[in-house]
Amino acid sequence: MDLFLGVDVGSVTTKFVLMDREKRILASCYLRTSGDPIAALKEGLRYIEHRMPQGGVIRGVGTTGSARHLAGVIVGADIVKNEITAHAVAAITRVPDVRTVFEIGGQDSKLIIIRNGVVEDFAMNTVCAAGTGSFLEHQAVRLNVPIEEFGKLALQARQSVRIAGRCTVFAESDMIHKQQLGFGKAEIVKGLCEALVRNFINNLASGREIEDPIVFQGGVAANQGMVQAFRDFFGGKKRIIVPPEHGVMGAWGAAILAMEYAPQKTAFQGFSVVERNFKSRSFICTDCPNACEIVVLKEDDRVKALWGSRCGKWTPETATVRCEEEDENLPSLSSYPGCSTERCAMHG
Amino acid sequence: MRATFPHLLHLDVALGILYPSLGIEIVPPPPITQKTIEIGVKLAPQNACFPLKVTLGNFIEAIEQGADTIFMVGGVGPCRFGYYGQIQRIILEDLGYRVRFVLLDHPRYGVWSFLSALRAMTGGRLFLPEIVRVARLSFAVLRFTEELETHRRALRCQVRDPQELDRVIDGTIEALRQVKTFGELEALKTDALEKLNALPRNGRKDFLKVGIVGEVYIAQETRVNFNVEKLLGDLGVYVHNSVSTVEYVLHTFRPLTRSREKLEAWELAKPYLRRFVGGEGIDSVGSAIRYAREGFDGVVHLYPFTCMPEIVAKGVLQAVSRDLDLPVLHLAIDEHSGEAGLVTRVEAFVDVLERRKQEKKRGLKRNGSLSRS
Ligand code: SF4
Ligand code: SF4
Repeated sequence: MDLFLGVDVGSVTTKFVLMDREKRILASCYLRTSGDPIAALKEGLRYIEHRMPQGGVIRGVGTTGSARHLAGVIVGADIVKNEITAHAVAAITRVPDVRTVFEIGGQDSKLIIIRNGVVEDFAMNTVCAAGTGSFLEHQAVRLNVPIEEFGKLALQARQSVRIAGRCTVFAESDMIHKQQLGFGKAEIVKGLCEALVRNFINNLASGREIEDPIVFQGGVAANQGMVQAFRDFFGGKKRIIVPPEHGVMGAWGAAILAMEYAPQKTAFQGFSVVERNFKSRSFICTDCPNACEIVVLKEDDRVKALWGSRCGKWTPETATVRCEEEDENLPSLSSYPGCSTERCAMHG
Repeated sequence: MRATFPHLLHLDVALGILYPSLGIEIVPPPPITQKTIEIGVKLAPQNACFPLKVTLGNFIEAIEQGADTIFMVGGVGPCRFGYYGQIQRIILEDLGYRVRFVLLDHPRYGVWSFLSALRAMTGGRLFLPEIVRVARLSFAVLRFTEELETHRRALRCQVRDPQELDRVIDGTIEALRQVKTFGELEALKTDALEKLNALPRNGRKDFLKVGIVGEVYIAQETRVNFNVEKLLGDLGVYVHNSVSTVEYVLHTFRPLTRSREKLEAWELAKPYLRRFVGGEGIDSVGSAIRYAREGFDGVVHLYPFTCMPEIVAKGVLQAVSRDLDLPVLHLAIDEHSGEAGLVTRVEAFVDVLERRKQEKKRGLKRNGSLSRS
């Protein structure tokens, strides 16, 4: 059986999809990246490996997300695509007559306008936290509500309270203020969802026609309070669809793109990748005042790939030498005065 | 006197010929780097235009290298650009730098007054005909650097080895710095064009075409706009840039002489924008319309984040985009712009253009889902 693997590595979460030729999802997973994309990639691969059907062969791999290039090198990708295209392809596959996609993830959000099955326009917010999932997570912690409960709680609210949510900082103080005024948690949570919806629309939709059907996807789409807030925002007049695979749409899109791309022979490195010793590290180039941070991916002691040089002067060979030099010059930890190896955080 | 000036792509090559020939010693600012931007951002008012901040960074870095006089052009129209020099002068004074600020800011006086002012500064040692000759020569050099960049944008998607293309063009630009006569310039031109013609091609013919419009500084200065042109070229796109320093210099010194392109762009923009909105607002709109007429697949609009004329242009461009079915990608750049987000947008934009092109080619009424392979 021909199978396709889609991988979406964002800074907050990492998603995997295993798909067959009918674009059916056979297995998927949704993991925390936790600042270590390599570990997340390995974990995801292990998960998928155990769910490979009898006689299944991976014929193509697609990667997407902010660490798509890193993932592409490690897993062996046939196609490396930006998140917007990947999300759009999956939404169109799920809802062929989709006209708008809302995608809200942990660290960014996107609005994609689709007409006749083709992306026509898009907008992306990467700077303002008030328009992303981290806004809700942040406030959930403050309110002491587990983020999973957030949506359900919002639905219980009997009235709504307007929270000034233009910016996370304002939202926080306004929320505290509303709490002091005696509003319940449910109302406040509902107000937060509505603030996020307003931010999303203000930041991304400016001047754009929002037509339905709307596909709402990304991690935040699991939050029923958010779905309701979007419905209310449009006065219940627009059809909003949350697909069951809303959390892994980017990875699914990457898998579909890999299938469409139809490589003769896949670049997939095999599941044994998890046994290999990858490490990523960085150094600052001091050869000119640009002071580029060069991020390198090392396998054992050899640099396999590198990113971040503005002038393109670094090659894997020169970067390997540079890393070795840096390692030599690094004072060993035990030589720090007063370092007690067992308890030192740097050793942990 | 050790004079310096702001960077704008290859302006330094031309000025490096002009000023020394007039007997003015120059200290060009070091190339724009992250550090230049950081210095400018730290010292300029927070809400100043991004180009002001970067050029301020240029000045500080040049002063650190020993410059004591700054030549800065002013602008025209109801836009903040006219005040750049004034603000920068005050900032430098407040910081305690003792530099002379020469503001070449009044276009009314024209190129003649500019040149005679320069002549006076050099002690009137040169005859006017000689001054005219070097001015024309440096202007011709500027024109040629621009021509080379036009070739670079067009050829990147067509040559087999883009790095070789860069070597030819960068090498020629370096060589241009030494040019003393028109004869030398012509020889370099012939040589460079021959080399460019000889570069092996990859045989691609069906590339996408994208036009760049926007504010004069951000749309051109590749060291500040994350080199969007190269990014597009590496994605296999043919690029043309409607913004030009030559135009800008002409416009600054001779506000009444406008090139055919400029007048044409203004004419095209008329149905949408009749009034001068400052900066290059009208040009952005007009050039986008021209690209649509010439069959370009899309337009990238580059401008400083808070730029008023371009924000007006952005609104108008949204209408143009709808009316002419021309995709436009708006990229606002400032010190907070992140490269990753920009790259993602540009890549997605190219995907959009690619899909549209395929759909059109198939001649379908564009009702098939793109995933139904
Ligand atoms: S990589 Fe190149 S541009 Fe970056 S700091 Fe080093 S020399 Fe400068
Ligand atoms: S055109 Fe834009 S960037 Fe330039 S001075 Fe005017 S507002 Fe500032």
